[in-house]
Amino acid sequence: MSIEKALFKKIKYSFFNLGRILSIQSRLKVFFILCSTIGLIAVMWLMFYSGFRYFDTMSGFGNIIINKLFTFFFLGMGVMLVFSSIITSYSTIFRSEEIPFLLVRPVGYNQITLYKFFESTLLSSWAFVFIILPYVGAYATYNEMSVLFAIWTLIFSIPFLIICSAFGSIFIIIFVRFTPKSKKFFFFLIAVIVCLLIVTFLLNPTSDTDKAMEVFDVSAILPGLNFASNPMLPSFWASEGIMALTHGQIFRGGMFWLLLMLTATSLLVLINDIGGLLFYNTWLLTMEGGQNNKRAPILFKWLDKLLFFLSHDIKAMIKKDVRIFFRDPVQWSQVLIFFGLIGLYFINIRNFHYHSIDAMWRNMIAFLNVFCLSMVLSSLGSRFIYPQLSLEGQGFWVIGLSPTSMKRIVLTKFFSSLFAMIIISVTLILISSFMLNVEKEVLIITVALIVSVSIAICGLSTGLGAIFIDLKQRNPAAIVSGFGGTLNLILSLCFIIVSIVPTGLILHLKTVSKITSQTAENLLMFTGLWLIIIILSSSILPLSVGIKSLNKNKGM
Amino acid sequence: MIRINKLSKSYGSENHGGAQNSRKVEAVKNLTLNIPKGELFCFLGPNGAGKTTTIKMLTGLLRPSSGSILINGIDPEKDHISSKRIIGYIPDMPYLYERLTTTEFFEFTGELYDIHKESIIEKLEESFALFGLLEYKNVLVKDLSHGLRQRLIYSTTFLHDPEILFIDEPLIGLDPYTIRLIKDLLKEKAENGMTIFLTTHILALAEDIAHRIGIIMRGELIETGTLSELYEKHGKNNLEDIFLSLTGK
Repeated sequence: MSIEKALFKKIKYSFFNLGRILSIQSRLKVFFILCSTIGLIAVMWLMFYSGFRYFDTMSGFGNIIINKLFTFFFLGMGVMLVFSSIITSYSTIFRSEEIPFLLVRPVGYNQITLYKFFESTLLSSWAFVFIILPYVGAYATYNEMSVLFAIWTLIFSIPFLIICSAFGSIFIIIFVRFTPKSKKFFFFLIAVIVCLLIVTFLLNPTSDTDKAMEVFDVSAILPGLNFASNPMLPSFWASEGIMALTHGQIFRGGMFWLLLMLTATSLLVLINDIGGLLFYNTWLLTMEGGQNNKRAPILFKWLDKLLFFLSHDIKAMIKKDVRIFFRDPVQWSQVLIFFGLIGLYFINIRNFHYHSIDAMWRNMIAFLNVFCLSMVLSSLGSRFIYPQLSLEGQGFWVIGLSPTSMKRIVLTKFFSSLFAMIIISVTLILISSFMLNVEKEVLIITVALIVSVSIAICGLSTGLGAIFIDLKQRNPAAIVSGFGGTLNLILSLCFIIVSIVPTGLILHLKTVSKITSQTAENLLMFTGLWLIIIILSSSILPLSVGIKSLNKNKGM
Repeated sequence: MIRINKLSKSYGSENHGGAQNSRKVEAVKNLTLNIPKGELFCFLGPNGAGKTTTIKMLTGLLRPSSGSILINGIDPEKDHISSKRIIGYIPDMPYLYERLTTTEFFEFTGELYDIHKESIIEKLEESFALFGLLEYKNVLVKDLSHGLRQRLIYSTTFLHDPEILFIDEPLIGLDPYTIRLIKDLLKEKAENGMTIFLTTHILALAEDIAHRIGIIMRGELIETGTLSELYEKHGKNNLEDIFLSLTGK
């Protein structure tokens, strides 16, 4: 039997055993996760469908957008997949504990690389399925398309996923292999990125009027639309091919599918060759990178002075968490990529001419930006804040036996994550508001909303992390995908919806003159009260239950 | 047989500003060693002496900075697949696939070495019976205790009948019954021609099973010989005293 067959058989066994593991889990838990997933897909379907209906009310302009949105959707998904693949490929190809196991067995370096590439593709693309299902469903329902549309989408999605993931994997292998490891180069790279951001920022026009907006132009509302129709892009081949086959244009559709397949196959051959040539040396580089024991014995020594006002136990815990975070490139690089991408978009808002459009649209974009940033915060809350108590792992006894209380441990985790989250989220929202040139009222409300979301996400994630603590698990992905992690993500998403939607709706109704300013003010006061109630219930409640739960299970 | 010639491994880089500012750490220095077929060689040394670095270089998990290795005449740098076909490696903290059953894991390992399915099934019964794993055939690896995991890794490592076996700390976390089983098995395998290179902290193990002993200290091989040669050379009659006097503790 070939090595490839053995490796894929192993994946098959693991997949089937997952069912076995699920069967011994609580039925309520499985039921809850299933219902939440279906519910989430249904809500997303409804949102997409409502969006299409809304554009439909705008007649000609709306129809142009709807027709272009399908192409744009694939472009957006493609870009996200490439970034997602960069992150997952690094941990899957270079940081996996499985690699030494395979390296001492007669498995070729190219075979290991290809196998790990497929694993990375699976890991980085599952979210794609969750988004594409409701989107394609809503699009097909709106356009009254046949079932064939779903089948073509599936057939085109597979090579498309491989292409996007391959770009990410090839980039990371070459980047890790050929990037100098010196600190000087790292700081040089950071300096170049910062300079580029500053130049982009300075080059953006700050005037309120823009010639481009004097003539109403669809591409100015969604500037990516024109770029998405570039025939050199695989996302264009996928969307055009699906549409062509759905409309019975077999040859055109077939050509696009063959183009995708050919590109995907060529990239697989390239990964195979790059793996054979570069994988082993690159893996050795990543392994030996941490072996130089001449590094500074204490990282960020200045933290001691900076945190002088805190008591010894709180200071010790914060210093430990900060050091562990910055010593793990997987952690900080994920945060950097997520916030970096969103920051890049906010800084470029004026390049898209969003600041020159009508106030109604600017307000809507401002709230969409809050929504978008909140989604990133909720996923980071689930990925980093929720598992932090569980990840104390076998070392939890060190903290548990020290002269401090569980309450102080949990609150330290809560406030330190909240501090970091608020600094980043408020900065980003201020950039967004400044770039959009929104009114002062909208600025204050968006800042208040993002602070509320930060408090709620930190409270929920820390509290639920304490309630569902699992000290035996070393893999953060397994902690996050457990019952508590899923519940945390769902509750965070619910909070985002119930906190942002009412405020956004009131301001929208006021801008389109459906309600008077006085009514809007009154309603906003009620919304403020509502916000305080939901912040308190989603932060204080889980935190206090979490502390009680930890105190109760001290002997674990 | 294993031929190691002037093997060195250093981490970091030389700083041209002088030796005082050098960031280079030499984990293994000029190691030269020949281990003939059928020899059970015990590599001893204090923590951080370079035992694991050596074993990782021999198995291809680290690239030597200089020097050469020949595994049964094969240079692993030039033909890593052929050398891996004839070696077995048991690390101190082995990686196992948590979501496979013990049977699936055994079968998977066999398939990596291109062993026929019938042969895998036949060896599974034999090996699982030897290591007391028969009642765990349907159990997921994640549900095994540490001792059972160790038994499973031994069982799968012997599946392809390696000609050369590398073991890093073979007895960690094992109960007395399994320790006896492993010791007897290693002796028997060596008698049948398997070359075994093992690192350990347990001096009693080396005294009990080693044909030859090597002591490494700060990356340098400071002593080699059979147990009787060491007793005679140092005028002592237990390995602990020799080890402590040589390593300066």
